[in-house]
Amino acid sequence: MDEIMNMTGKERLMTALSLGEPDRVPVWELAFNEESIIKLGRLFTDDVPTLKLVHQMTLDEKLKLLDVMYMITRELELDGLTSIYLFDRETVDDDHIKDRWGRIYYVDREGDAIPVKGPISIPGDLHNLNIVHPSETEFLMLMVSIEKLGKDIAHVFYMTGPFRDSWALLGSIEKLLYCYKKKPDFVKDLARIATDYILEVVDRAAALGADVIALSSDLAFNQSTFMSPAQYEEFILPYHKEITAFIRQKGMKTIKHSDGNMWPIMDYMVEAGFDGLHPIQPQCMDIAEVKAKYGKKLCLLGNIDCEHLLPFGSEEEVEKAVKETVAVAAPGGGYIISSSNTIHPGCKAENYFAMVKAARKYGKYPIQIS
Amino acid sequence: MDQLFDEIKRAVQDGDDEAVKHLVNEGLLKKLAPRVILENAMMPAMQEVGEKFSRNEAFISELLVAAEAMNAGVSMLEMHSERAIRDRGKVILGTVEGDIHTIGKNLVRICLEGAGYEVKDLGENIKAQKFVDAYIEQKPEVLGLSALLSSTALCMEDVIKEVRKVIPSARIIVGGAPITQAFAEKIGASGYASNAFEAVQLVERLLK
Repeated sequence: MDEIMNMTGKERLMTALSLGEPDRVPVWELAFNEESIIKLGRLFTDDVPTLKLVHQMTLDEKLKLLDVMYMITRELELDGLTSIYLFDRETVDDDHIKDRWGRIYYVDREGDAIPVKGPISIPGDLHNLNIVHPSETEFLMLMVSIEKLGKDIAHVFYMTGPFRDSWALLGSIEKLLYCYKKKPDFVKDLARIATDYILEVVDRAAALGADVIALSSDLAFNQSTFMSPAQYEEFILPYHKEITAFIRQKGMKTIKHSDGNMWPIMDYMVEAGFDGLHPIQPQCMDIAEVKAKYGKKLCLLGNIDCEHLLPFGSEEEVEKAVKETVAVAAPGGGYIISSSNTIHPGCKAENYFAMVKAARKYGKYPIQIS
Repeated sequence: MDQLFDEIKRAVQDGDDEAVKHLVNEGLLKKLAPRVILENAMMPAMQEVGEKFSRNEAFISELLVAAEAMNAGVSMLEMHSERAIRDRGKVILGTVEGDIHTIGKNLVRICLEGAGYEVKDLGENIKAQKFVDAYIEQKPEVLGLSALLSSTALCMEDVIKEVRKVIPSARIIVGGAPITQAFAEKIGASGYASNAFEAVQLVERLLK
């Protein structure tokens, strides 16, 4: 018992991803926006950088922001840290950036980059597509995180998945979904290009020491999945399988992130080979029901509401939500607590702290919540 | 004639533009009024797809290709009609400032057009003043605001205030992932819809 109570953060997170019971429920976040890091950091130090979005920062400013993130990680004893794949991008104008594929993104006020224009419109454009390969600078955050925090915490590497990378090449999710019906071979060509690139990125992340790959790309919205189950099976599942098999071969685990109502394709999440599913958005999915149906096959991550509770709720309400969620999702293991997406600038810093504190209070195994 | 209407419906739902154009042409050659074809074949086709979509029995790609096929047919009907064929009312749509998410708004547009409404889509990242200007210029029956982020949803209140300063009775509906009925009421919206098909029903209720 003593031995298991002394788990490192990495052991804790990896145990949960293997569907086991660690000593306590691991605490982790998929991401913190720039403003959130600064707000949280101010609770520990005055030495925080001026607020800018990452694409507007110099290298020194980026490193300073990361130092604040590492301090938060140490102070709160988080069990894992997510390092983001920082695609090399050039500035187009105040609101837009362009990556090396030629994909143009709008950067919203929270710093999220959303593809708005791609280098490809029709299948014939594939012949002129400049195939790029990962560059070393794009792994900067992972390299620095491992160096600064060591290997006692889990290093999660966050990158886009084949669905997102495919539609980003077209510049619009609707264009890809339209092609599902009208140009299925074109869709598969795009997925092939995206997957080849993803495998290269995974390979490098593994070599640098990542423990977990988190694949972004929302597959769903509040109402349902973007694609039908049959479309998922035909156009995405084979690529997800290929990616998870490669990640497994490299000794890492895989988390699939998708907002929204994932019920129509939940069986496929298991078949695809994902170890964990994040964030079980509480507006669309009941985590108790997900736990009952998939708790023995998938590690569940998230579910603490960041849409209303963390931005507008009280610390007492946060504690209550954590207690209730841990009670239904943690017994038996295979649960990692996090917000229901990311700690975005709207979330109150004190509510995030309340969430972490409550996770420690109620998350000790064996779970004993009446 | 019912058989022709059924064939047009099926072609719209299959997203088969060429078949729709061929069948609509056949209807026009039989001297059917454009409006009769629209109301008896194309609108019911889109309504069925929309209903299936709201029950998660159809997915976005089905809506997209059906809308494209319907538009191909509507273009033909409009060539044979002296006035706009979609005349159940005008709706302006836009995603509010700071938010460039398109898909929710575009699905609402598709469903409204499928139900015979004229839609002016202002696009994304639209400032409050642009909504006001468009409202004054276009004189729509309804203004629809979309947002995906909880931060940008807050901009909806500003838009409602600014538009109502000019047109106090303006009907303004809201939707998007972070929006709830309670939020819609709090900011003074005329209504809230949780999906594209509900948005059509909401517009129909407001225009009764």
